[in-house]
Amino acid sequence: MTPQAIIKANGLSKSFFGNPVLQNVSIALEPGRIHALLGENGAGKSTLINLLSGALAPDGGEIEIDGRSHRRLTPSEARRAGIAVVQQELSLTSDLSIAENIGLGAYPRRFGLIDYKALARKAREVCDLVGLEENLSTPVGDLPLGRRQMVEIAKALFRKPRILVLDEPTSSLSAHEAQTLTRLLQRLRAEGTAILYISHRLNEVMRLCEHVTVLKDGKVTADRSLQGVDAAGLVRLMVGRDPGDLFPHWTPSPERQTIVEVTGFSSGLLRDIDLEIKRGEILGLGGLVGQGQEDLLLGLYGALPASARRAVFNNVAGLPSSVSRANALGLAYVPADRKREGLHLIHSIAWNMMLPDFGKARGLSRRDPAAERKLATELADRLSIKGDLTRQVQALSGGNQQKVALAKWMPADPPILLLNDPTRGVDVETKREIYVLLRRFAAQGKAIVLSSSDTPELVHLCDRVAVMREGGIAALLEREKISEEAIVAAAMGAEAAKVAA
Amino acid sequence: MNQANHSRFPAWSPRALLRNRAFLTVAIVILVWVVAGFAKPGFGSYGHLRYLLELAAVIGLVAIGQTYVVIAGGIDLSVGAIVTVSAVGVPLVALSGDGSGTFAVLIILVAATSIGFLNGLGVAYLRIHPMIMTLAMATFLQGVLILIAGGTAISAQNPLLAWLGNARIIGIPAGVLLWAVVSGAALAVLHATPFGARLYALGANPLASALSGINVQATTMAVYAVSGLAAGLAGVLILGMNGQGYVGIGDPYLLASIAAVVLGGTSILGGSGSYAGTIPGAILLVTITALITVVNASAGWRSILFGSLILLLLLLSGRESQRR
Amino acid sequence: MSSMIRTGDDRLYWRVQGERNRGLMGLFAVVAAFLALYAYLFPGLLSVAGVSKFAQSWLPLALVAMAQAILMLTGGISLAIGATVSLGAVIAATTMSGYFGVAGGIVAVSASGLVIGALCGVIAIRLRLPAIIVTLAASFIIGGLALLILPRPGGAIPGWFSDLLAGNTPAALVLVFLVALLWKLYLATPLGLSLYAAGENPVGAYRAGVPVDAARIAAYAISGLLSTLAGLFIAAQTGSGDPVIGQAFTLNSIAAAVLGGVGFLGGRGTMRGAIAGSLLLSVMINVMFFLGFPPVAQYVAQGLIIIGAVALPQLTARFRRRP
Repeated sequence: MTPQAIIKANGLSKSFFGNPVLQNVSIALEPGRIHALLGENGAGKSTLINLLSGALAPDGGEIEIDGRSHRRLTPSEARRAGIAVVQQELSLTSDLSIAENIGLGAYPRRFGLIDYKALARKAREVCDLVGLEENLSTPVGDLPLGRRQMVEIAKALFRKPRILVLDEPTSSLSAHEAQTLTRLLQRLRAEGTAILYISHRLNEVMRLCEHVTVLKDGKVTADRSLQGVDAAGLVRLMVGRDPGDLFPHWTPSPERQTIVEVTGFSSGLLRDIDLEIKRGEILGLGGLVGQGQEDLLLGLYGALPASARRAVFNNVAGLPSSVSRANALGLAYVPADRKREGLHLIHSIAWNMMLPDFGKARGLSRRDPAAERKLATELADRLSIKGDLTRQVQALSGGNQQKVALAKWMPADPPILLLNDPTRGVDVETKREIYVLLRRFAAQGKAIVLSSSDTPELVHLCDRVAVMREGGIAALLEREKISEEAIVAAAMGAEAAKVAA
Repeated sequence: MNQANHSRFPAWSPRALLRNRAFLTVAIVILVWVVAGFAKPGFGSYGHLRYLLELAAVIGLVAIGQTYVVIAGGIDLSVGAIVTVSAVGVPLVALSGDGSGTFAVLIILVAATSIGFLNGLGVAYLRIHPMIMTLAMATFLQGVLILIAGGTAISAQNPLLAWLGNARIIGIPAGVLLWAVVSGAALAVLHATPFGARLYALGANPLASALSGINVQATTMAVYAVSGLAAGLAGVLILGMNGQGYVGIGDPYLLASIAAVVLGGTSILGGSGSYAGTIPGAILLVTITALITVVNASAGWRSILFGSLILLLLLLSGRESQRR
Repeated sequence: MSSMIRTGDDRLYWRVQGERNRGLMGLFAVVAAFLALYAYLFPGLLSVAGVSKFAQSWLPLALVAMAQAILMLTGGISLAIGATVSLGAVIAATTMSGYFGVAGGIVAVSASGLVIGALCGVIAIRLRLPAIIVTLAASFIIGGLALLILPRPGGAIPGWFSDLLAGNTPAALVLVFLVALLWKLYLATPLGLSLYAAGENPVGAYRAGVPVDAARIAAYAISGLLSTLAGLFIAAQTGSGDPVIGQAFTLNSIAAAVLGGVGFLGGRGTMRGAIAGSLLLSVMINVMFFLGFPPVAQYVAQGLIIIGAVALPQLTARFRRRP
């Protein structure tokens, strides 16, 4: 009894700016089955979803729905076929109410007007399904992130989908909300909905899903039942090698002199933190997303208002009051969202590499084009960025973009590097290159603060890991105590954390 | 190594020229001039072209500031009012003992720069949208001007202004010469200094610029100050050419400056473009206006033609290619 | 599992409307204070004649503020509002005394506004040209059309129609309410409500099946309609048409919308805010007039007030953030 697939993609390909993102990808979704789609950031999962929902047109291949094949699926065809997507980036409008957001694009009408009575009734139905108790007239902008995610899910359910695609739905949910979602998905499965489920939480996938498709660098590396596969096996499928091979061998650096010291540090979410950063070490920042890791980095970097009872940076007392001051003190920051915060996408690679110098140099001094070219070429060689350096940065793959974001700080040779999730959306090879680079920096006596959402990275790379929770440091793990279990336990606030600290 | 260096910065090629918006705008100007020169006797005469350049000089000067501001991701709707401030202000501050008028001109240029600086202050520190800040500034200045100058035209006679308005140096009007010199400086600052690079950085991605150590506030204030200075300079030149200033004299230059910037290929979204395109953009603008006058149509048709031509030129070349 | 309708769900529409007033209370209070001041300075306001006169000075500004606000909600802007107002005025002044009469004139004015607005919208949105540039060029074309129709002030509006709209009747006030009501009705249609989504999050809205382009082009058309209607009213007020009478409205429309809390980036603000903003601007001008300010001082005050209104929330937010 093999049920017929509702939707089937055959040999889809797609590239952006000449970079292939998907190559010959096939996937089939069946009713009453939760199908996991796994892959690292940048493996092409989001692109695949956008193709399936008609938001993007494939360069090659076709999508078959109920046996009818489409070379180019339009969003409205996809909707009519019953495909609903819960996007990772929220698609809500903050000035509209919960009900108006849920119904957006599919409002019940009466005499051409929105039928608010029917909307309230139907929206309440789906809100009950996802456990949203809030008043339906509440503007979405007033809700915390997790609740907005639930509105997003309710919005997808409102269309009574036959195929439901969820792109990392649990990343911003509380444990309770995640449980509600699990129950909901099991119910939908029983009702015969085909579900495509994308998540980084492997135990969630193991618990919920029956079938898995794994993407690696835009290609399908596995398409199989989940029976008889364990979590380590899934990681191998995603990474293409044992997780351990990815990381360079860890050796302690000789130099362990304190370079940054703050006591009673507050910034953004952070309240009254004491922290010491040493030369020659990689200090990891772990924990669930949004527990104050970014505020810590930005606060140290002078980009967010901060205060401290005592602060010493590189033998200078006081917190840097601005980014340029922080740069002068020897700090550099590589942001997580490189497209929005790290790079100037419409400008060239070489130009991006020169940017910190443009900020530092005297405004009306003369630029030296020959020296700039020489420096850019050197940096590109050092980080193995290939090809024409006059290309716009947006034409580069995620990995190469990240290299440019790192490279621009190299000329200043900053002794303190603040890195915010530097391997997010980066292919495996580049990841490895970045890891090697970071360990080399540590060996040279630089101090590195690495915030990461990727726990193995913290385990294999760091000398110490500070696990953050609710704006504080829940645990500070020394090298021998660092393990995935210890980090997760501390992040969740389990008892073990106190022991470790 | 040398080999690698070569491939990483491709050598100049003729095809790059065809994608260069400044070059294309120059090409359009030349084309229009040649066609018009054959079609209409007298259009191509040296005297007429010189006259066009004189008119373009004023727009071109105002557009220096506008180009800078637009590249840095803003817009300055107060340039027209600042031009008026300057054209009306110089005669008003004329002092005894300042025979040449240099002092009066300097005072007014400082005032114009300060007005621009205030715009920048509002945009950078009060985080007021540039359109609103500069619009409010324009409204404010308009009121102040009428209070001070009233509805009458004010004449100015001083040697400096007379020289600016009438002198020819080897046949080239002083105003055009002034424009050429200032343009050279503006281009050099834009393309050969870190300050110029900061403008492109700010316009393309202000957040990434701030995190890369660029002082966004200082740069913003500086760029609006430059815009004020450029508009002030244009006002002085108009005064020299006209002999008198009156309230409203600068009004046409607001839209003209924006049009010149856009015709020159600078993206209104910021981050790209060059003053090198704005120069032919300004010339194109006065040429279009002159041709429309030549057509001898009514005011209504002239306005319609002007708008349609701008729209057409935009369609031909100025499409904001899909930027994501 | 049956869904429980919770209290309030059945009155969803009205509760949503209530939510939209939040954040505008400050503005409403300021408007009320200015109105009270005005009534105190000029007790004649509190009569039919007083209200009529005041509403007549307010109506055109209210209309153009709405015309601008609807575009700003979608993330656009128009620099052609003033020219469109002029066009509306000259079309009204040339058609109404002609063969088709007042009714024909109203149709002509409305149709021209809708068509011209929609054309601007199609050019800006379908061809992906920046709105500010398209409407800048359009302002020349539309202004030129107005000059073609009526090269110098002239034309005529039937006297009875002028008296009806701008005589000693509160017709203008009724019209403001009528237009606001029609706007409510439009906002209750799927296309109307889509404006917000199309403005704030066009990609998300597109994926959710919102006809983003259609919503935006419709906004341009409605904006054009409101502008030409403002022109019609002005023509009725003055009894004739003037091809450049609308010029000041471009900037004033932006100012009123901004005072009313409509944001530049799309999806932020409300029409009731824009109307309140235009009311504030109108009352301020009237109050200053009564206080004996020279007309030009109004410009100075207006500039300062706009900056103040926009900067104040920024400053207070900053002070609140400081521990």
